[in-house]
Amino acid sequence: MSAAPAPDLFRSERIRRRRAVNLIVELLATGAALLAVGVLVIVVGSVAKRGAGALNWDFFTKTPDFAALPGQPTGAANAIVGTLVIVGLAVLMALPVGILTAIYLNELAPRRVANVLTLALDVLNGIPAIVLGIFVFVLFVNGHGQAAWKASFALAVLMLPLVARATQEVLALVPDSFREASLALGAAKWRTTLSVVLPQTVGGIVTGATLATARIAGETAPLLFTSSLAGNAVGHDPREPLSSLPLFIFTSAEQADPKLHEQAWAAALVLIGFVLLASLIARAFAARSRRRLTGEL
Amino acid sequence: MRGLLQSKMKSRLAAATGLLVAISAVAAFGVGGAQAGSARSSAGEINGAGATFPAPLIAVWQQRYKAVRGVEVNYNAIGSGGGISAITNKTVDFGASDAPLSPDQFSACNGCVQLPWVLSATSVMYNMPLKNNVHMTGPILADIYLGKIKKWNDARIKRINPGVSIPDQEITVVYRSDGSGTTYNFTSYLNTVSREWKSRVGRGTTVNWPTGVGARGSSGVSGVISRTPGAIGYADIAYALKNKLKFFSMQNRAGRFTRPGLVGIRAASLADRKFSPTNELSIVNPPPGKRFLKAYPICTYSYVLLRIQSSKAALLKPFVTWALTAGQQFGPSLVFQPVPAYVVARGKATLRKVHS
Amino acid sequence: MSVASRSATGPAAFKRRGRFRGGDALLYVVTLAAALCGLVLLGLVTRELITEAWPAMHKFGLHFLTTQAWDPNKKLFGAGTFIFGTALTSFGALLLATPISIAIALFLTELAPRGVRSAVGVLVDMLAAVPSVVLGLWGILVLGPFIVNTLGPALHGTLGWLPIFSTKPSVGSNVFAAILILTIMIVPIISSICRELFLGVPQELKDGALALGATRWEVARGVTFPYARAGIAAAVILGLGRAVGEAIAVTQVIGNAVAIHGSLFLPGDTLASRIASQYIGADTKLQVESLVYLAVILLVFSLVANVLAQIIVRRVASRHRAA
Repeated sequence: MSAAPAPDLFRSERIRRRRAVNLIVELLATGAALLAVGVLVIVVGSVAKRGAGALNWDFFTKTPDFAALPGQPTGAANAIVGTLVIVGLAVLMALPVGILTAIYLNELAPRRVANVLTLALDVLNGIPAIVLGIFVFVLFVNGHGQAAWKASFALAVLMLPLVARATQEVLALVPDSFREASLALGAAKWRTTLSVVLPQTVGGIVTGATLATARIAGETAPLLFTSSLAGNAVGHDPREPLSSLPLFIFTSAEQADPKLHEQAWAAALVLIGFVLLASLIARAFAARSRRRLTGEL
Repeated sequence: MRGLLQSKMKSRLAAATGLLVAISAVAAFGVGGAQAGSARSSAGEINGAGATFPAPLIAVWQQRYKAVRGVEVNYNAIGSGGGISAITNKTVDFGASDAPLSPDQFSACNGCVQLPWVLSATSVMYNMPLKNNVHMTGPILADIYLGKIKKWNDARIKRINPGVSIPDQEITVVYRSDGSGTTYNFTSYLNTVSREWKSRVGRGTTVNWPTGVGARGSSGVSGVISRTPGAIGYADIAYALKNKLKFFSMQNRAGRFTRPGLVGIRAASLADRKFSPTNELSIVNPPPGKRFLKAYPICTYSYVLLRIQSSKAALLKPFVTWALTAGQQFGPSLVFQPVPAYVVARGKATLRKVHS
Repeated sequence: MSVASRSATGPAAFKRRGRFRGGDALLYVVTLAAALCGLVLLGLVTRELITEAWPAMHKFGLHFLTTQAWDPNKKLFGAGTFIFGTALTSFGALLLATPISIAIALFLTELAPRGVRSAVGVLVDMLAAVPSVVLGLWGILVLGPFIVNTLGPALHGTLGWLPIFSTKPSVGSNVFAAILILTIMIVPIISSICRELFLGVPQELKDGALALGATRWEVARGVTFPYARAGIAAAVILGLGRAVGEAIAVTQVIGNAVAIHGSLFLPGDTLASRIASQYIGADTKLQVESLVYLAVILLVFSLVANVLAQIIVRRVASRHRAA
């Protein structure tokens, strides 16, 4: 070895350059995160600011009227009730099927079959909502008429992979010791699944279902083809097309009347409010139930 | 073990509470909505969809007819194309279209009839710091929509507007992106004033627009124009008035510059009084002549589309009859010219074919 | 997977003894039927769409993909301009979203202090929860005017020599607005997947690099990214799939013009957006069939993209399990 002086590890040129690069990258990363948060604040802020003004009692109780005189109050009552009915029905359709699917895939299926079916579900998840809308139109609506339950069916198809996957994840978290203990005590597989395993997962299922519901409550494309020709009056009958908040926003946004724009913002505020609230509650619930479940180990 | 049971009960309780809240919310909104909003009619309900062109008048009919007969008429303004496909797909009881059905569409509809029930004009609107009713001719308008004239202060536009100082502004062409009977009317007109338009683009509810930006519905077009300086677009005159947009005075074949008002529409309607076998009347660009001096060149009838065999025939026939007769009185304030007597007669005759 | 269901003797033998066979069989059949729904739906969707689009597919063949016209009068339809528009908007959005998402994921896994981490993470996830129609509403009434009045002239003034900014935006409905909206939509998707990936990088590898004196960026570049490389690719593919399939928000802001322009400040159209804007009003059979043909193209693309992403994810998962 030569007798060169030891390199100064803290102040050499190379180190300085590398540290500078690191600092720049850290600033960029922070900036990116701030950008994302900033955009969220801007978007939600716009909706809140412009929508809060039009969010009054009339909005929730009155219905739209194209020939409304300037002073006449109008609202989106039919859209709000319609969304509740359509989304409610979709949850009723998708939840049982999703839970049963997850039970099969996680508890009963041979590995190969489970892989294929899981792949099918994941691929189904990636199909664009508009393609599913056309599918339901061709299958149910063409020649027969629109109906709210057909819209619910389309939304249920969208929800199914989400519910199934969420339930699967929670089922996998249940320790095998529970199953083994139950089986060792002489219970049949179905008894074990329904009375021992499933109750552990209720929290996770509620979480997954809530997130999935929040996700489909804002979907517009399937509604375009299945429940867009609804009347102005408030209705509950799923056999008829019902109005809905996403479609209300969609059509009001492109009108020229500023009053309709205000109502679109108000409807967006209601929709966002529900979606964000549901997501936050679901996440808080999920964190707590996951901690409880893994803690029990 | 006790901890397990407690948490199990807690989650069950949470789920049950959530369900209860959801059910009561639906119930509350449903009951409250039904009482506060317009209650569902007990006398019956008919559903229609179609053109945005007659929508302002149909909206008034919805109110008035409910007050008179108690029947609820639902109408969704999704465009003429939507109305044609909805009545063909049997998703509505009646359709509305400014574009008459073609033979192919009649055969696809399989048992439909059409009859004119509304008469008005398509205004060509613009957003410029100019006075209202600036002069415009068909050939220039066609060249604008072909993309050949790009600026407001083009020499040709200035020549027909002597004394008007036009700023240097780019023209933004706006058209209907959805299947539109107003497009059919507008392009029919352009077909008659521009050979290049006729061969390159043609007429229809949807065409291959050479330039410009699309918007959905007459209301959407009005919206884009009101937001975009320099924009030009077309929609029923009722929308221009409602949104306080300026519109051109178009030059008719007699050489006069006329406005889309009741006078101009009435004169134009004289251009065609002979029904085609399918009740079609075409009053676009009336010929020169004393009778048509005041005619506005872009007028059209709008048609109601019905199935010959319909379960709602008992409700539809009185409604359409009322619309053709008593309903017309609500038109003039929205610049819908009441349809002539021969149109009413033809409509009633056609309605007799409809049965349940 | 439950070990108990695998054992050859024990519970399985117990099952065979007969008393509870009915219940087990019932559970098996019911859940199998439910699980098959996914597969059946997939097949149904494919079959119904292809059947509906078949006349147009037969008439135009694969030529449809390159034809640029969309002319109901001349009975000539083609997906060319929409495939271009879809590619332009999706890749534009990916170009913007991928670095931002990776940066956000890095921030949330490496750089941020613990408290900030969860708060910002929740906020970024909330961006994914905003419905697309609300983003479209915001795009029409807020972003559009902003592009026309401020952002557009600024970009055109400074970077106008680039073909993509070569015209000044005259109307708020244009391709640029669509790209920005799509970027906002796919950033949460890519960043949440990347976050999980980066958290899954074995700590020993990162510690080793740090011990050798690497800066945090060098750890990311040398350890995290190579390790998560395939997963990032899957995340990008999933984001691409989302961007390609988005119909509502895009159709609200893109201007619905059948044209291929160089400039982003002009209107255009994508596959999904054209279906959304024209399907309701399509009044001729050929137009309806051509629109369903567009949907078939979308379906094929999303199937391929999703299967690809899932294959990558599974291969990465097995490799990491083996490692």
